[in-house]
Amino acid sequence: MTSTLRQVGIDIQDAEENRPLVNAIKADNPELTIRHLPGLLKLQAAGRIVINRETVESQLGREWDTGEFQLAIVSYAGNFSEWDDDQIIVSWEH
Amino acid sequence: MAVKALYDYEFPSADRAENFGDDQLVYVHWDGNPLFCSAACFRVPTAMPFGEFVAGVVAPWAASDPDFDASAITRWRLFDQPLQPADDASLADLGVGHKALLHFSV
Amino acid sequence: MTQAKPRAKKLPLKERYALLTRDLDWEPSYVEREKLFPYTSYEGIKIHDWDGWQDPFRLTVDAYYKYQAEKDKRLYAVLDSFAQSQGHLGLADASYLNAIKLFIQGVTPLEYAAHRHFAYLARYLEGPAPRFAALCQSVDELRHCQTQIHTISNYNKYYGGFHSWSKMHDRVWYLSVPKSLFDDAMTAGPFEFLISISFSFEYLLTNLLFVPFMSGASFNGDMPTMSFGFSAQSDESRHMTLGLEAIKFLLEQDEGNVPIIQAWIDKWFWRAYRMSALVAGMMDYMLPKPVMSWKEAFELYFEDQMLGGLFPDLEYYGITPPRHVEDAIAEKDHLSHQVYKILHNFSFAAAFTTQTPSEEHSAWLSEQYPGSYDELYKPVWDKHARTEAAGGRIFFQGLPQLCQVCQVPMAFTEPDDPTAISFRTSEFTGETFHTCSNGCKWIFDREPEKFVQAWLPVHQIYQGNCGGPSVPEVLDWYGIQDGDNGEYKGSPDQRSWAEWHSGAPKQES
Repeated sequence: MTSTLRQVGIDIQDAEENRPLVNAIKADNPELTIRHLPGLLKLQAAGRIVINRETVESQLGREWDTGEFQLAIVSYAGNFSEWDDDQIIVSWEH
Repeated sequence: MAVKALYDYEFPSADRAENFGDDQLVYVHWDGNPLFCSAACFRVPTAMPFGEFVAGVVAPWAASDPDFDASAITRWRLFDQPLQPADDASLADLGVGHKALLHFSV
Repeated sequence: MTQAKPRAKKLPLKERYALLTRDLDWEPSYVEREKLFPYTSYEGIKIHDWDGWQDPFRLTVDAYYKYQAEKDKRLYAVLDSFAQSQGHLGLADASYLNAIKLFIQGVTPLEYAAHRHFAYLARYLEGPAPRFAALCQSVDELRHCQTQIHTISNYNKYYGGFHSWSKMHDRVWYLSVPKSLFDDAMTAGPFEFLISISFSFEYLLTNLLFVPFMSGASFNGDMPTMSFGFSAQSDESRHMTLGLEAIKFLLEQDEGNVPIIQAWIDKWFWRAYRMSALVAGMMDYMLPKPVMSWKEAFELYFEDQMLGGLFPDLEYYGITPPRHVEDAIAEKDHLSHQVYKILHNFSFAAAFTTQTPSEEHSAWLSEQYPGSYDELYKPVWDKHARTEAAGGRIFFQGLPQLCQVCQVPMAFTEPDDPTAISFRTSEFTGETFHTCSNGCKWIFDREPEKFVQAWLPVHQIYQGNCGGPSVPEVLDWYGIQDGDNGEYKGSPDQRSWAEWHSGAPKQES
């Protein structure tokens, strides 16, 4: 698989309950940029964004299912190239 | 390209001329006046004389613009072709058919 | 900190998904496959292996209902507190609600239409994975329709234009724009529907269609709309995935599918983009506190994310950016101004009100559109303002010419000349048909047999099918009540708003 550096993005609802999730994404994606729009946070990075269950759980202090990500997401640009029990990855494929 | 369907796909046009009897639809556009977002659509008799069409149909609409001056209407066009209409010629005589587009300027 | 308890044992996500979704499918034994699935071959699309369909969400029915219930719980908590605290008084201005009137009249009925059609796909697609994804989406769309009605019903107690939206959707001129788009999609085959609604509408343009409403709601004090919007959008991400998965799946199945899909992308990009023109007008003119200009949103969500991100990805399959996309880019400085002009010209026949932009708003537009506003659009608004200062109000005293395909009044200009209306015509079986753009003309010429049937509201009025020949008769047939329509300044909404904020003691009636 060739890797691409085109921007991918995830839009997340700007809510208190999503803050640990956003912190976890920040921690695991050092290149991440965050833009604030009314009511939402626009997360963007070149190539891919990864979300790790363990990082989110350590931020939350509780168990977290990757499926719960569905409660936070508003929109995205890219492709869910991985979504299993431990990890979610958004990237372009080609 | 035909519509892909599981049966013979053939339906009449919703606005075919016969649905309007002795009348027809005519569109009129005031070139270069952005106060009006678009051309207007009118239903008028095909036999209506052009002078009556301008005075009784076009002018009341164009007067939506407070600066409209009916005597200043000029440069009629039918689609893209210049048109020199006589006031007593009917729309049909002038070749203004169903769903024709007329333009004018002032 | 206490030690986290060991996680409860359960099957891995992939296995759960396989067992609860795909493994519940069966081979028909007493009915032929073609009889069971009669609609999946006539469009010319070839599928060799339905199991090639991937659902990245790997959603199972138990997880689906768990998360949806949680989303509803959060939403209804917001609705209750907003209603109990008279939250509507905290909006930026009552005129903001014109955007929400447009939403419930134009968008909510589409949710219901989508619910119906995804239920159909959940029955007729051949693979169990796309069937289950379509089933979830069908239930989602019904939820969206219902939560939107619940949310917005609170405003119906205090403001005009929120009643009769379902009837209006079927009858009123500007609402024929979204209605006819969905009718076009629902009368196509199942694969074209996937490309039209799931891909073009839900993936390509969803951010332009929905996110501006929601950010606008947030910025203008409308927490309930923002909440239902984002609650719906979280489902929308799943719908986007279905759209993207659909296109990749179809492209991977057979090379012969590529040109068919390309033609559908070409058609549906332009159809959905033309409908989004209504959103452009809303964003730039209807929000008392504007969030982001249409132009900026178009650049961010469409040019950067889709043309810059998605299409290079699809190039791998031989897909090129949509036909006529350069015309859309060429008019980004003009679209919203031309569309709001339509609404301002004709709001005497709409279930919302309009107003000439204030000086402050005009200054914002000038800042956002340095290349077009001062030169082309401000002088016209200034003329409206002068007339209004003298006690008048200019409306278009007549009916507009409509585009045969998108059904928007023919207000759009030439891609290379923003002072000349773009008129396109086609002849078919001896009749002339008018379209507003290269895109709409191309769509008409591709399937004239379909588009000659268009129910164009202006022509229907002239055929005598809309309650009568006079404006009051048509408005009555539309379900528009006096005060829903016209100019905002001096409207019942504006007067109530001023009274509620005057500090004077309320008269109990």
